[in-house]
Parts: sequence; C-alpha cells; structure tokens
Amino acid sequence: MASLISCPHCGIRPKEEYAIKGAALPRPAPDAPRSVWFDHVFLRDNPRGPYEEYWHHAGGCRRWLIVTRDTATHEVLACRDAGAEPAVTA
Amino acid sequence: MPDPTAAAFELTHRPVLVPVALTSPCIALLPLPEGTVIQILGPAARVEDVCAITDATGFSLRGNGPGQWFAVGDEPDKFAELAATLPDGFTAIDQSHGRVRIAIEGESVGEVLAKGTGVDLALFETGRAATTLIGHVATHLARISDDRFELLVTRSFAENVWDDLKIMAAEYLGVSHE
Ligand SMILES: [Zn+2]
Repeated sequence: MASLISCPHCGIRPKEEYAIKGAALPRPAPDAPRSVWFDHVFLRDNPRGPYEEYWHHAGGCRRWLIVTRDTATHEVLACRDAGAEPAVTA
Repeated sequence: MPDPTAAAFELTHRPVLVPVALTSPCIALLPLPEGTVIQILGPAARVEDVCAITDATGFSLRGNGPGQWFAVGDEPDKFAELAATLPDGFTAIDQSHGRVRIAIEGESVGEVLAKGTGVDLALFETGRAATTLIGHVATHLARISDDRFELLVTRSFAENVWDDLKIMAAEYLGVSHE
C-alpha cells in the first residue's frame, strides 16, 4: 500500500507527511528542441505497473525522494534519496 | 535619522504559551523556556564538528534529517556565541523567535504521542530526533529519556499543538476535552 512510505532517513511514515511532485524523468539538455521540452513537461506515459515518482518528505526530513510505486497495486517497491541520482538531477 | 516611533513601539517578549504545566501521576505537559533555538545546515558526514561546537557552547544537539540539526538551550540570546565558532561549510540560522519547545513526560507518554504521530515510538530510542506530523503540524520530536520527549514547533502553531496535546492526554490528565 502506498499509504506508508519507507523514507531512507526517517523510516516508515504515513503518506500525509509527503508531497508528490510527479514522475521522476531524466531532464532533456538545456538546448534541446522545444518539442522535446514540451514532451518532458506535459506528456506522460501513464503505465500500468512500476512507476518512479518524486516524493518530498515535507513533514519529515525535507529530502526529495524517488519512490518506485506500482500504479495498479499501489505497492511501494523502493524508496531512495533523489540526491544520489545524477541521471535525474542533472 | 533616529526613528521617532521606536520608543513607542519597543518590542516586549512574551511567551506564546502560558507557562503553566499540566500534570497527573502518569503524564505531564510542560511549556519550556523560550531560550535559544538554532537551525544548523552542513555536510552530514561532519556531524562531529557540529557536536564539538554545541558541546562547547552548552547547547543540546538534535538531528533533523541528513545534514540538518537543531541546537537548543534554555538561555536566551546565545546565537552569536555559537555562530562565532561555526566551522567553514556550515550555516546557522537563529530560530529562537520562530520555534517553541514543549516537553511531555510520564509513563503514558508513548500512548499519548502515538495518537498524533506516525513515528513508531517503540523503535525510537533515547537520543533520537526527527521531524514528523503531530496531527497536521510539522513537529520536531526528540526522545530525551525513556519517558520524556521534547517537541519543537513553529511559534505560530505552538498553541494549536499544545491544545492538541491536551486533547491527546485528556484521558490521562482526568480532564474533559471539549
Ligand atoms: Zn524522511
């Protein structure tokens, strides 16, 4: 269940302590074409199954996390600190 | 030019919580002195550096997530003293005006706090500290001993949290909570 999120710093906490930003996607290059940036900002695949999202532990350690959540079962498969992810923070 | 209104509007410090404890044999709610509260930010790996300066200046140090700490003490106006000894790479922010401490203690402290927070208090050992929600308010929680916790809340929410704690503790304080 996604009602409990296991913060790597704080342990298991209720979802009310978090704010969700949305899909954790690699950012396009700053000079990428407008169409690529448009897709990055506005278009999502909406898959059924595992999905990576940014969650902010707003009512806790205030770190940005990447939560891997199954969109069909709401099972939380992984939760890690976003600061250790060069691919999505570049 | 000196501000002619300064004298007329001289700031007077008044504690936000009425400094009266609520006690029963198994639970006590205690407003703590509005002393000095300092938020410290810096590299998480250099926690010993922070410990050294808070020990030397008489503060109690509490963790608040990676690379974040609160230094708290009962004495007011101690910010400059700590800030002067801060090593390179760290930032200190005076929160004395912005955050208020409340202690809660007694044998029923676990049962009372569990009504408001999602932290598993059975696994939260003495010496640990973390921010959590108490009801809807972000609250920094520190376990001082087996049956004593200290809460640190933003000043504007202090009365609200105090009232919530009163409701949470009502059955142990033997008071009604309407
Ligand atoms: Zn956290």
